[in-house]
Amino acid sequence: MGVTVLYVEDDREIGNAVSADLREREYAVRWLESGEGALEAAEGCQLVILDVMLPGLDGFTVGQRLKRVYPELPILMLSARTSIDDKLQGLEFADDYLTKPFHPDELAARIEVLLRRSGTAAPAPLILKHLVVSPGSSVVTEAASGREIMLTGKQFQIFSYLLRHLGQILTKEQIYEAVWGESYIEGDKTLMVHIRYLREKLELDPAAPEIIETVRGIGYRVRG
Amino acid sequence: MKRAGRFQFLRRSLLFRYLLIIIAALLFIPVVVPLTIVLYSTFGGFTREDPPEEYALYSSVDKLEIIWHEEARKLLGQPPEGITERLRALSETYHLARIFWVDNEGRTQLITVPSGPPLLEGGHAAREVPSYWTAADTVSFMKDSAALKPLAIVAFVGDQAAAGEGFMVMQIPEVITNVKYAQGLNTWYMVVMMIFFIVFIGSSWFFFIMIRRRLLRLQTAMVFTGREGLPKAVIPGKPDEIGRLEEAFNTMVTELAASRSRETEEEGLRKRLVADLSHDLRTPLTVIRSHLHVLGKEDLSARGQESLELMDQRIESLGGLIDNLLAYNLLNSGRMTLKLEQKDVLRLLRESAAAWYPLWEKEGYQIEIDLEAAPLYWDVDVSWFRRVLDNLFQNILRHARSGLYVGIFTEIRGGNRVLVILDHGGGLDGSTDSKGAGLGLSIVDLLLKRMELEWSMESTGQGTGITIWKRLPDRII
Repeated sequence: MGVTVLYVEDDREIGNAVSADLREREYAVRWLESGEGALEAAEGCQLVILDVMLPGLDGFTVGQRLKRVYPELPILMLSARTSIDDKLQGLEFADDYLTKPFHPDELAARIEVLLRRSGTAAPAPLILKHLVVSPGSSVVTEAASGREIMLTGKQFQIFSYLLRHLGQILTKEQIYEAVWGESYIEGDKTLMVHIRYLREKLELDPAAPEIIETVRGIGYRVRG
Repeated sequence: MKRAGRFQFLRRSLLFRYLLIIIAALLFIPVVVPLTIVLYSTFGGFTREDPPEEYALYSSVDKLEIIWHEEARKLLGQPPEGITERLRALSETYHLARIFWVDNEGRTQLITVPSGPPLLEGGHAAREVPSYWTAADTVSFMKDSAALKPLAIVAFVGDQAAAGEGFMVMQIPEVITNVKYAQGLNTWYMVVMMIFFIVFIGSSWFFFIMIRRRLLRLQTAMVFTGREGLPKAVIPGKPDEIGRLEEAFNTMVTELAASRSRETEEEGLRKRLVADLSHDLRTPLTVIRSHLHVLGKEDLSARGQESLELMDQRIESLGGLIDNLLAYNLLNSGRMTLKLEQKDVLRLLRESAAAWYPLWEKEGYQIEIDLEAAPLYWDVDVSWFRRVLDNLFQNILRHARSGLYVGIFTEIRGGNRVLVILDHGGGLDGSTDSKGAGLGLSIVDLLLKRMELEWSMESTGQGTGITIWKRLPDRII
């Protein structure tokens, strides 16, 4: 079953172009020119793309209402409003914020990420070099042998966090604070120790890691 | 009415109240002392025991003196027997006093014995009257009489020394003349005086304590500010000078709040205008870009595809330019409020570099990042500091392609930790690469100045180096 996207955009030219592009990418699109009826139209959709400046109710209000009714439904704000205040306001409830003029490929990539994160994307296993990560990244197996790799709680949380931000470089502070839920204190080696053990389990050669890459001076990254 | 109004004004004046205290202090002795005596007399009138009636004859020494001198005058030219007779007669009337007279030759002619209290001299019996007076006796008697030991009324017989008929004396016991109508006068007087003193000191103290308390309350209200950074209004007290100061302070706070509100409103309007402008400019760009995307799917020549890609890149830059232009406008208006807080700028630098890293990587840049572990805390507005870094990193991506190098370091310069961002591009001075970089750098300049950070840029044909540091506080020489 294909993915249905609710798209709310008042500008017809942009709406036509984006709808056409999404349909080409095999998404079913429900396009509304205002926020009116968005709640009803969102029924059965897997993702919402929402403009901010709409006639009548603005995108922020529509988005907040949608999130209240469908808390699991990912929302991508697509707006010409680029100020940090607008972005922050949008990201209070939305899952992503893309500013105009955007490249259609970037929009498509962000939709993919959101669907993957929400578990709506096709449940294809993620292949990372010699590893296969099952949907939801709960099970990690070695592709060649099919052997399941057992991770401890913290190792699993770190790896999951890196997988959720696939391709992004994450700083030590960001990983530590997301996994441990407390402020990172400079000089704390806990994260490095966990990464080392994680590499020993995941990497073919922990001395030359290919899965969890160290980005010198910044942090770590798992490439998609 | 007018007089009542004036009085009301005086009552509302601290100066007036202070003057009242000063006047009370000045009038203390001439008013309070008699007042206490009157009070005592009233009090004594109820409590004292009446003296014996026979003492009344001696109540006025002045009257006694007049009578005594009158009697002396009448005795002028009388023979000694006559004088003695008269004085004896007087002694029956004034039997509580000792009466004696001395003739011209110093012989004491008559001494009566008082029938009442004894004559005392400093607690002891008064000296005996000598039967024959020497000069020394006379002087000694005069000295005792002058010291009221005991009280003696002396008159020359005939009321003149020249008569040469001697002198006559009436000595009155001290107990009679010094009847203590006021038993305990000293104690009560002291108590009343002390009460007046305490009331005076207490009222002065209270007056200044109240002023001090109100001034301190006002000071506290001025120092402590609420969430909006404005002091809170105070509850006005009495309508005196401090009360008027409190009212003036409240007016100032109200005006300040109104001004702040106007400022916020203006900032909001400006932001909205900028947002609308941004929207109106970006919407057609989005449309053009989506059409370019559609065109890109058509069967185009290599040159056509190249043109499309170029146009797409230009639209992307135009988006950035619009952002910068509008941000510059906002910043330059001075209406933007920066929320400065102490943050580890190295962490912000790492996070920002992490976002740009894949883009530099994609373009084939050599990336060197060496940010020492120890945090570097500066007072920055997080989102605007990220904007500064984004503008600088954007410039590297757009204008330093020829060098394909980006370096991000911290260094110690002049005892100060600085951030250094390097590229090996063709430089920003006059190179064709540099078009569009100026606005981004102007925003960097404005923002860093607002965050009280210093920066410098060295740009040559071999590359550009940006250094950012925190201004050290001026040393006190």
